[in-house]
Amino acid sequence: MTVLIVGGGRPLYFLCRTFLAKGHNVIVINDDAEECTQLARRLKVTVICGDGSDPATLEEAGAAGADAVLAVTSRDQDNLAICQLSVLQYEVPRTLALVNDPDNEDVFRQLGVGAFAPTRLFASLIEQRTAADAITNLLPVADGKVNVTEVKLSGDSPAAGRALRDLELPANALIAVILRNGDAVVPHGDTVLRTGDRLVLLTLPENHGPALRAITGETD
Amino acid sequence: MASDLYIIVIGCGRLGSYLANQLSSAGNAVVVVDWNERAFSNLSPEFSGFRIEGDAVESAVLRQAKLDKADLVLATTRKDNVNLMVAQVAKVVFSVPRVLARVFNPKREEIYRRLGVETICPTTVAAEVFLRATAPPSAGVSAGVSPAEALR
Amino acid sequence: MEAKPILIVDDEKNIRLTLARALEALELETDAAINGEEALAKVAEKDYGVMLLDLKMPGMDGLEVLRRIRDIRPDITVIIITAHGTIESAVDAMKHGAVDFIQKPFAPKEIRELVRKVLDRDALQAEHARDYHAHLELAKKCINQRQFDAAREHVRQAIAADSTKPEGFNLLGVLLEMGGEKLEAQKDYRAALALDPTYKPANENLDRSVGIKRNSKINLGE
Repeated sequence: MTVLIVGGGRPLYFLCRTFLAKGHNVIVINDDAEECTQLARRLKVTVICGDGSDPATLEEAGAAGADAVLAVTSRDQDNLAICQLSVLQYEVPRTLALVNDPDNEDVFRQLGVGAFAPTRLFASLIEQRTAADAITNLLPVADGKVNVTEVKLSGDSPAAGRALRDLELPANALIAVILRNGDAVVPHGDTVLRTGDRLVLLTLPENHGPALRAITGETD
Repeated sequence: MASDLYIIVIGCGRLGSYLANQLSSAGNAVVVVDWNERAFSNLSPEFSGFRIEGDAVESAVLRQAKLDKADLVLATTRKDNVNLMVAQVAKVVFSVPRVLARVFNPKREEIYRRLGVETICPTTVAAEVFLRATAPPSAGVSAGVSPAEALR
Repeated sequence: MEAKPILIVDDEKNIRLTLARALEALELETDAAINGEEALAKVAEKDYGVMLLDLKMPGMDGLEVLRRIRDIRPDITVIIITAHGTIESAVDAMKHGAVDFIQKPFAPKEIRELVRKVLDRDALQAEHARDYHAHLELAKKCINQRQFDAAREHVRQAIAADSTKPEGFNLLGVLLEMGGEKLEAQKDYRAALALDPTYKPANENLDRSVGIKRNSKINLGE
């Protein structure tokens, strides 16, 4: 895949490295000459120095041939423009914009651009109850209407040693995947849960508490 | 233009403040938004509208300005991308009936006009005026070259 | 429509101008005062039906103006002008019968709608109240006249007529909180939020009453 990334700083650098490691072809647009030189020197990426939200620069960078465009500058408005131009002018199939103002996640969606707000994720990770490292709240999906949580079963969890069908899970709660010894298992009713299993739990907010209690035995 | 409209002007630079002053003295209720408080000194002493200090890219600021009640939004900052974003948010999220955005880059303007954003491109406008002013004085003829071509 | 004139009280000229212009269309006589003292002097001389009052003015405190207006003209309806993010003591405002708020900036039609609503409210009669809106407006009329028990009754009837609207619960919460029943009030703020999690007035009231410091205003909604 050819990925075009517009942005700068550490986030850009590590994004490039991640994509390169996966075997993708990476093109970078950055507006600082010094940074561009550094990037070209340190990574096997094509670097174009310029304003990624300028149609001429996108043209020069070969946006027309990109499979995906990632806009990760520090300005929401620029990221919007980059993604929109990529789609409108160069018909890039996939775009993603980073947004700093969490409100803009929904705003961008209404404008037809996929967006992600790391600020919202961080805030929600800290806010939600994380008892004793055993419960990790993962990505909020579906506009925060669905909780995706990873729960590690300890020895005293009431769920350990029981079959999935015997757990008293409330409605609208689903154990989607069990991570066991490095393998991902999609469970069914007969699957017996074991100490050390990491369960990926999907819940609607109103059933989140009861579902956690059924698995970990902890009361609020 | 009809007066007594609720008009939001984004950006209080030379263009924004000029528009705000004019529209306010014509009797409209004008709200000016600028992230830099010092920009409001561009407003005339007779300006009888509201000022909001904030970044128009934040929808919280647009909500504070009550964009949902606006009859007209004019995006006049010096940054095309800000103007384009505010224009689209005003139309799509706040359903403002009429929105105008200043866009300096003619290529960008052309692309966004296709999206249905109403834009004013100072470069193109100035070019048109120049060409008209220098056109040969024959009756009813338009400038030989279109501004878009002239700029390529 | 009531023929009584409207008094605009605000230290900022642009606000006075904007309000006067907006109300021209209603063909009502408007008058202006630049501070509390002038407002009191004018109210003593003339019988205004409605007063638009900014609480934050230099000189006499807005609440003080509100309190003193009551002594001179108990029947005047006061609409409070607030600024974004400021601390307005809305509980105290309500104790003096003010239940209508408008936040700056405001569109001309917003002002007109609010003033019209307030004027229509005077004509409302208790025996003709049938639906949610009528009961809610009657509740506000009672608050204007500082008949808080009657107000509470009307809000309860409004909720009985339509228990899907957050405003009714929020207003009941404010009335209860004013009467010292904080816990009951919080239940009502929560009920409002359960109906509409984005209903800002109830959110702010709940935060404030449980002690979360953002800004301490009670929000009566719009």
